[in-house]
Amino acid sequence: MAKKKLFAGRKSTAAAAAQRMVMGGLPQEEEELMQSPLRMVVTSFVQDKVAMIGMILFVAIFLCCVILPFFFPIDLYYQDVTQSNVAPGFGMLKVPDGLQDNAAMLSAGSTFSVGIDKDGNVYEWGTFPTDKLRRIPSSSEMGKVTQISAGLDHVVAVNEDGQVFTWGNDRMGLASIPLELRSGADIKQISAGYQFSLALTEDGTLYNWGSDYLMNVSFPEGVQGNIAKFDDNTSVVMALTEDGRVVPLTSKTSSFTAVPEEIQGNAIDVALSDESAAALTSDGVVHVWGNTQKGTGQIPEEIQGHVTAITGGRYHFTAILDDGTVASWGDDTFGQTSAPSFDSAVTNASVGYYSSYAITEDGHVEGWGLKGYLMGTDAFGRDLFRRLLVGGRMTMTVGAIAVIISTIIGVTVGGISGYKGGKIDNLLMRLTEIVASVPFLPFCIILSGILGNRITEMQRIILIMFILGLLSWPGIARLVRGSVLAEREQEFVTAAKSLGVKEFGIIFRHILPNIITVIIVNATLDFATCMLTESSLSFIGFGVNEPNATWGNMLNGAQNGQVIENYWWRWVFPAIALGACTISINCVGDGLRDAIDQKSKER
Amino acid sequence: MGKGRYLLKRLLYIIFVFFIISILMFFIYKLMPGDPVEIMLGDSKLNMKPDAYQALYDRTAEMLGVNRSLVEQYFIWIGNMLTGNFGYSTQYKQQVAQVIGTPMRNTVMLNMLAMVVVFVISIPLGIATAVRKNTAFDKTVQVVTIIGYSLPSFIIALLMIFVFAVKIPIFPISGVRSPGFSGTGIEMALDTLWHMALPVIVMSISGIGGITRYVRAAMIDVLRMDYIKTARAKGLREKVVVYVHAFRNALIPVVTIATGWVVGLFGGSIVIESVFLWPGLGKMLIDGLLQRDFAVVLTMQMFYVVLSLAGNVIMDIAYTIVDPRVRLEN
Repeated sequence: MAKKKLFAGRKSTAAAAAQRMVMGGLPQEEEELMQSPLRMVVTSFVQDKVAMIGMILFVAIFLCCVILPFFFPIDLYYQDVTQSNVAPGFGMLKVPDGLQDNAAMLSAGSTFSVGIDKDGNVYEWGTFPTDKLRRIPSSSEMGKVTQISAGLDHVVAVNEDGQVFTWGNDRMGLASIPLELRSGADIKQISAGYQFSLALTEDGTLYNWGSDYLMNVSFPEGVQGNIAKFDDNTSVVMALTEDGRVVPLTSKTSSFTAVPEEIQGNAIDVALSDESAAALTSDGVVHVWGNTQKGTGQIPEEIQGHVTAITGGRYHFTAILDDGTVASWGDDTFGQTSAPSFDSAVTNASVGYYSSYAITEDGHVEGWGLKGYLMGTDAFGRDLFRRLLVGGRMTMTVGAIAVIISTIIGVTVGGISGYKGGKIDNLLMRLTEIVASVPFLPFCIILSGILGNRITEMQRIILIMFILGLLSWPGIARLVRGSVLAEREQEFVTAAKSLGVKEFGIIFRHILPNIITVIIVNATLDFATCMLTESSLSFIGFGVNEPNATWGNMLNGAQNGQVIENYWWRWVFPAIALGACTISINCVGDGLRDAIDQKSKER
Repeated sequence: MGKGRYLLKRLLYIIFVFFIISILMFFIYKLMPGDPVEIMLGDSKLNMKPDAYQALYDRTAEMLGVNRSLVEQYFIWIGNMLTGNFGYSTQYKQQVAQVIGTPMRNTVMLNMLAMVVVFVISIPLGIATAVRKNTAFDKTVQVVTIIGYSLPSFIIALLMIFVFAVKIPIFPISGVRSPGFSGTGIEMALDTLWHMALPVIVMSISGIGGITRYVRAAMIDVLRMDYIKTARAKGLREKVVVYVHAFRNALIPVVTIATGWVVGLFGGSIVIESVFLWPGLGKMLIDGLLQRDFAVVLTMQMFYVVLSLAGNVIMDIAYTIVDPRVRLEN
């Protein structure tokens, strides 16, 4: 009875019509067993297992792409060659058991780390950019290793006799250790950098070898032989002299060379991130200069005056404080600045690229920062998982808007054509036929290729949506026309006509709700087609372009056999996402069609 | 109205559609960046005296008719297109008509082979699944085909390269002929066939999925008809019932889909050609766009339009052949 009351005052507005559409024409009497067509469709759809699995899968992918980007934000313009083609995995911070609680020194490289324990044994872990890194010289050859450093794709180590060893990438002169260092020297500090290596001896002389393509080390007067400490990044080496001066070892003027005057003669430690430099003065205060865009200049106020040592990663700095704790600041994309708390005082911190390690008094090692990439990275070092998420969002947005455009045009043309008949019908159907005979993919390619060059990337994406929408409506128009032709002879249309409802109202308010299911099915299947077309376009480079991600253009870089063979993660994940998405949409569409048209189910 | 008149009417209509689309293409042609006269003259601006160049420029402009009204220009342009004067390719430094021969042969060869493979596999498969409706065999094929037609062709291409060129290297990844290959005509044909294997497999997988499902659906509809019952009641063998009585009728809806599919196949082969570096029309279109060689681009576009319209004509003819009830009044 409650139901009756609820629907007693049926309104004749569009809202009520929509409500009736969704709820179905509710039975006036409780005992009536009549099911509304829509409810029948829903029941039959829910019972279709394949369609339901497809539905759940698609909704899951959709929700992932819509919600997860908020938790995994992405800077589309971010690129980092040091992280290129990293295999999936989370082993970058997994310190080997033998090293844990027994560590003497650690060093973080691009995507791998090295360490030595107190007995001088070498450990390596993480994702190795080259298999040559696994060929560690045997312990009989090296003896007891005292210092070690990891770079982009090579490692430099020193044993207790002062002999220098290097392994990993051996090209560009990385293997040619200077003669003076081969037989053993008093080495104070070593560093494996970005395709080059550095070693500093106790007498203050700095040696460098490897590639001089990106970096040219040049020593100003009186610096060589007087160096106490140094740090390096991909473009510059910064030295700290015995008398507390910070000297950039370069002949080029850059933001690094603008060392603040007030720290000169007073500095006790120096560190470099990729774009900025930091120096520590004897009063425990950190000074930062250079390009501080990624937050490297935002030194936490409370640590000033308490810092005892600083080190720099790619876009962050880590400082050891006088109370034995650690503070990090700068970019936090991979959790680099989320330093954990320690049980005992930290004696040594090692920071490289996106990872940091701290060794406490009792030899305990704790790492934080980049653990690894869920789906690896592409050729530009971009996290594939994050790009897959925003790529999915883009692919679906383009597909959805294209379908909305084509459905609106298709329903309007089909509706008018079917209802009016006669000359208008003939004209509109000829138009439909013309659009349908336009060769679809070549036309999309040519339009996007010719128009796409002089517009911004955003306009280009909108252009793609419109090209897809404007070329794919004939199918839906024909379908709607057919359904309208069948419906317009029905009694309710005659009734509406005799009540003086305007033609437009009859088509869109009275006939349309009756054929909405057909439209929905078609739109669902069109959505899959539009996603496919967009992906194909982006795949061959005429759709959405870099740096915007779509599933299609993520596969673009995977077109050669070498990538397919060696970097499987670069094509497998986008392919699975796109494949799962289109398969599930097609399953849903098929299920819907079967549910609506019971005859087709018998097939 | 007889069948001949019906076909004639359709043909006239399609010619009309061709002109409508050609107007659209003409506007695309006008949208193309760059001065067509300068493109035509190429580098001669650098080699000639300014006044001599200006005279040549004016002559060429006169010849190309860029100074006339848009309507006149359209007729000149369409006249050129129809008489095979497709313009000068800046990329190949030749008339377009002279360079499209080989790519066209490559593309037609590739698509025809894929077409044959698809029909040879999918029609018997569709019939078999329709006859054995709802058996395990039918259900398996259903699942496989839905995957086949849902997966984009380039993903299948990547998978196939991974399996048949990287893991088990039995097929070449790209090209149309082994480098430095020499041999007799038959050896050459076999070598080309070997290079065609992967692209054809990929194109076939995408095609088989869709066509099999259509054949199956059409066959099931037909097999329910009364005349099939009659044929069976007459005591005809099941094979005759299925392949003669049922299949001829099932062909009608299949023809519609198949023609549309073949036209789409040529368009879709653009992607395949770009993956497998197959020197066909699709690759030529893409290279032309990247090199801004618009004469080539437009010719390719013209080819696809003609192909699509020819598809329509073939569909009409096929209809009149397979369906004796074809509606002649319209």
